Amino acid sequence: MPVGFTSNPRIVPVLELSEVLDIKAAAPLAAAFLERRGAEILVDAARVEKLGGQCLQVLLSAAFTWKADELPFGIVEPSAAFLDALALLGVPADALGDQGLAR
Amino acid sequence: MDSLAAIKQTFFQECEEQLAELESGLLAIEGGIQDSETVNAVFRAVHSIKGGAGAFALDDLVRFAHVFETALDHLRAGLLLPSAEVTGCMLRAADVLADLVRAARDGGSVDAARCKALGEELAALDPDGAGTVPETDDGMDGIDFAPVLVELDDLDALPAPSGRHFTIRFTPHPDLYAKANDAAVILREITRLGDATITCDTSDVPLLSELDPEGSCLSWTIRLRTASDAAAVREVFEFVEGDCDVAISAEAEEDGEDLDVAALLARLQGEVAGETAEATAQQLIADETPLPGSEVIDLSEVRRQGKAHEVAPEPASKPEATAASTAAPPTIRVDLDRVDRLIDLVGELVINQAMLAQRVFEAGLARASGVAAGLDELEQLTREIQDSVMAIRAQPVKSVFQRIPRLVREVAALTGKTVRLVTEGEATEVDKTVIERLSDPLTHMIRNAIDHGLESPEARLEKGKPAEGQVRLSALHRSGRIVIEVADDGAGIDRPKVKAIAARKGLVAADAVLSDEEIDNLIFLPGFSTAASISDISGRGVGMDVVKRSIQALGGRISIASRPGEGSTFTMSLPLTLAVLDGMVVTVAGQTLVVPLTAIVETLQPKAVEVHGLGGAARVIAIREHFVPLIDVGRELGYRGNDADPLDCVALLVESEGGARNALLVDAILGQRQVVIKSLEANYRHVPGIAAATILGDGRVALILDVDAVVARSRSDAASHETFLAAAG
Repeated sequence: MPVGFTSNPRIVPVLELSEVLDIKAAAPLAAAFLERRGAEILVDAARVEKLGGQCLQVLLSAAFTWKADELPFGIVEPSAAFLDALALLGVPADALGDQGLAR
Repeated sequence: MDSLAAIKQTFFQECEEQLAELESGLLAIEGGIQDSETVNAVFRAVHSIKGGAGAFALDDLVRFAHVFETALDHLRAGLLLPSAEVTGCMLRAADVLADLVRAARDGGSVDAARCKALGEELAALDPDGAGTVPETDDGMDGIDFAPVLVELDDLDALPAPSGRHFTIRFTPHPDLYAKANDAAVILREITRLGDATITCDTSDVPLLSELDPEGSCLSWTIRLRTASDAAAVREVFEFVEGDCDVAISAEAEEDGEDLDVAALLARLQGEVAGETAEATAQQLIADETPLPGSEVIDLSEVRRQGKAHEVAPEPASKPEATAASTAAPPTIRVDLDRVDRLIDLVGELVINQAMLAQRVFEAGLARASGVAAGLDELEQLTREIQDSVMAIRAQPVKSVFQRIPRLVREVAALTGKTVRLVTEGEATEVDKTVIERLSDPLTHMIRNAIDHGLESPEARLEKGKPAEGQVRLSALHRSGRIVIEVADDGAGIDRPKVKAIAARKGLVAADAVLSDEEIDNLIFLPGFSTAASISDISGRGVGMDVVKRSIQALGGRISIASRPGEGSTFTMSLPLTLAVLDGMVVTVAGQTLVVPLTAIVETLQPKAVEVHGLGGAARVIAIREHFVPLIDVGRELGYRGNDADPLDCVALLVESEGGARNALLVDAILGQRQVVIKSLEANYRHVPGIAAATILGDGRVALILDVDAVVARSRSDAASHETFLAAAG
């Protein structure tokens, strides 16, 4: 499974991204987000070592969706590799959620 | 096979092609051809391998390709001169790259120490001394996203990009991802060319409920400042050609020193197309958000603004306006099984046509009748179809020849000899089934030529020869066969030594009187070895025997021409295909056999005065001034218990390798025809003395004689090897 769920003290569901977000991870990642739709979410990017174009699409789409649903969406603990990948893919690091990128 | 495995398989097939390109390009550069097209082709080959390897997370391969590519990039930029040392290092690196590809494909291992040493050697080529080998414990370096910073640092070590600004609009199609490529990899390659500002257009990203996770809805605009030209920029997209839209527009020349027509044209096109250099909404936002994470972005705004900036895309495959490349003929990849099946079917068609002709003949229809005329046309058409189908499977021998330079380098290094390889006739085509079985004997012959044929540099200098020895490998078509020659300019065969060794090993009598040719052919005898010590290179004294048997198994022959002090030439003559054969149809003890026409020198009716007994059952026939052993094919194959009377038979004078001649006794000759070869091993089992089978026009199966095997069987029956040698030839 590319993703897993844990709980934080605020009981905000956390979606933990897997290490490798390549083409094979895109569909499971989208499914995981769809499953959590309707509630605020924090996405833990601490373990991410690789991020490809399709998983970026899913992350952006999720951010748009949560925005449209007027629910909080945030990326937390982004790894250096995750930030580098975002830079390479031309996406401002804070474009992925209204919570900013808390490190 | 799942789709990913199929893509991976295609990747490895393409790797082989790229490796061939790489090697031939490097050899061309080594030979003094240093035009940008050649250097670019070499760079592209490594680049493509790296790109694909990255998609499959083949980290070792990616790491090494990355270092190699960096060195090639310096070569391409003119920062590195293609000296003998540099090309030598790169050729060795190409060998390691090939090993890594094969290890990734076949699951084997590579010589890690060699790989590391070459990596360091390549890195040391960095003109600024800034080259580094990526850490081995960081699998992500060099390919994916984390290394971007490293890459940019590396670029900092290079002269600052000057001159050109490009704006690139890159829109991947879903196929790009489906083929296991990734936009991130392409973008990373772009950043290697210079200073890149990348902005992502997210305007087409839908809400999750409408998102196809395996589709493609992002596009990118890259502003690139680089010293490279438009062709180099476009090269980045070659690997994903057809799987994305790419629009490249040149913006400005900073130095203005040279007039780049392509850049100007591209710039004009850009201006006509509209505001191609406009930043996307994301870029505008990026400009307003100096620090990541400092502010929340209104994504709905991003999407709205993104829509406003459309750049007319052009297919990635659109050719460069100034590209001087010649268009390659369109090709398709076809599964070999399909071609084999087609060849089998055409073989059946040929047999069927022959059977039909037989029926027409038996029906007593006149030659001038419409049926016979139609049959003639059918025969011609069948033959044309057969030739065309065989041409599909024909391949240039280049695929075998291209493995030889590496072999030469390795053997030369092991023996401490300096060797120059010259190849000719690489485009000569031969059936794939022959090519596949050519590699081993050829490899052994080349090893032998260097190890045993060429003298040491010191010995050569003493003899007034250049220290560098030469091995020439050539291929040509001759009389419907392919002839491959391996020639060296070494010492030639040391005949007294060869004869002494053969006598010591009991292969010939010590006092046997042998011609030069017969002595030369002794090296093909099983177990013969002239090496004073067994070397790792040429095997253990079974080499030339194995070579000879491999060639014979292909229906070929091998011969030697050697001149003391001047070198030796080994000549292989092989059939162009293993699918059809021109044969003489004969009868032996009521059985129909086919004798390969290439083996037959002449046919004759033995006369009483010509046939002589040698004691026992052995007989010879006098043909002109030579006595030739008579071999009764019926007896050798067990069709009859007693030897036939030669006077009631027909003798086929056949020639073995090295010119040894024998006369095969058969009962009668029925005619000559082309027959379709059917493997006996595949359909029944191996039968000694029989090479294969075929189906004749009357529907009967006829066996194809293995002439050399029959001769060898009779030879083993012969009372004395010496007698045979003296009688031959």
